[in-house]
Amino acid sequence: MDQITPNRWTARAPGFDRVRRHTLLDRAYHWLMALAVLVLMATAFLPILGIKFAWLDIHWITGVALAALVLIHIVRALFFQDWRNMWIGLADLRELWRDAAGLVGSRQRPALPGKYDAAQKLYHLGVAVVILAVVGSGLLMLLKIDTPFWRRNPYWFSADTWGVIYVIHGFAAMAIVAIVIVHLYFALMPDSWYLLRAMVRGWISGKEYAQHHDPARWKA
Amino acid sequence: MELFRYSRSIYGGSDQLIGASWDLLPWFVGAAVLFIVVHAVLSALAKRRARRSA
Repeated sequence: MDQITPNRWTARAPGFDRVRRHTLLDRAYHWLMALAVLVLMATAFLPILGIKFAWLDIHWITGVALAALVLIHIVRALFFQDWRNMWIGLADLRELWRDAAGLVGSRQRPALPGKYDAAQKLYHLGVAVVILAVVGSGLLMLLKIDTPFWRRNPYWFSADTWGVIYVIHGFAAMAIVAIVIVHLYFALMPDSWYLLRAMVRGWISGKEYAQHHDPARWKA
Repeated sequence: MELFRYSRSIYGGSDQLIGASWDLLPWFVGAAVLFIVVHAVLSALAKRRARRSA
């Protein structure tokens, strides 16, 4: 078990039996991404809902920041972390089936997951697809605006192709609104407060580790 | 309800696709809220069943 050196944040834990779940860098990534997504949602949808302000500069600069964050995350996940923690395997599909069956009355005992359960992995996959779609289309849309770094050149693509790029950006943006709402619901559910704390402070207790995770699937 | 937004060319011809329709935004929000309500109800029922059988 990866114990954490006691400091002013962890010193209250008896025995310091804490398992590190998220490093400081991962937590910083998560909260910076959350901030970027909220700013992007506000600058995208408030003007549509009738609240007018100069949104474009804030939107594209935050979008570029989000693209950089996503790139850093991909590099870290592929080369410096165990990407298999997020891989969806057969065991996860069985777990998902049991979870769904449990919700509608099955008495099958749900299997304990590794670091992330099947629903979290599926959610991550959905977020990855939508964020890559919105970031990819958004980066292309930068060709249509003047910035201090480049001059606009809207003739890179035909009008039809621009239409498709805008459709992808719009649908992905609206999907992100739905994803954020569902994410807030799961994050604020009392059953998962320990995960919210882990995303703030980095650790879960040894008891929570034993209660919610299979040590064979997540060697902490 | 429209899925897409179009602009009409001033030179005539067919309408030009310019993006997704923002009228769909309430549907995405509604889908998220529906998911939450269904999940919350099923979770509460599952917990109640578990308490009864314990």
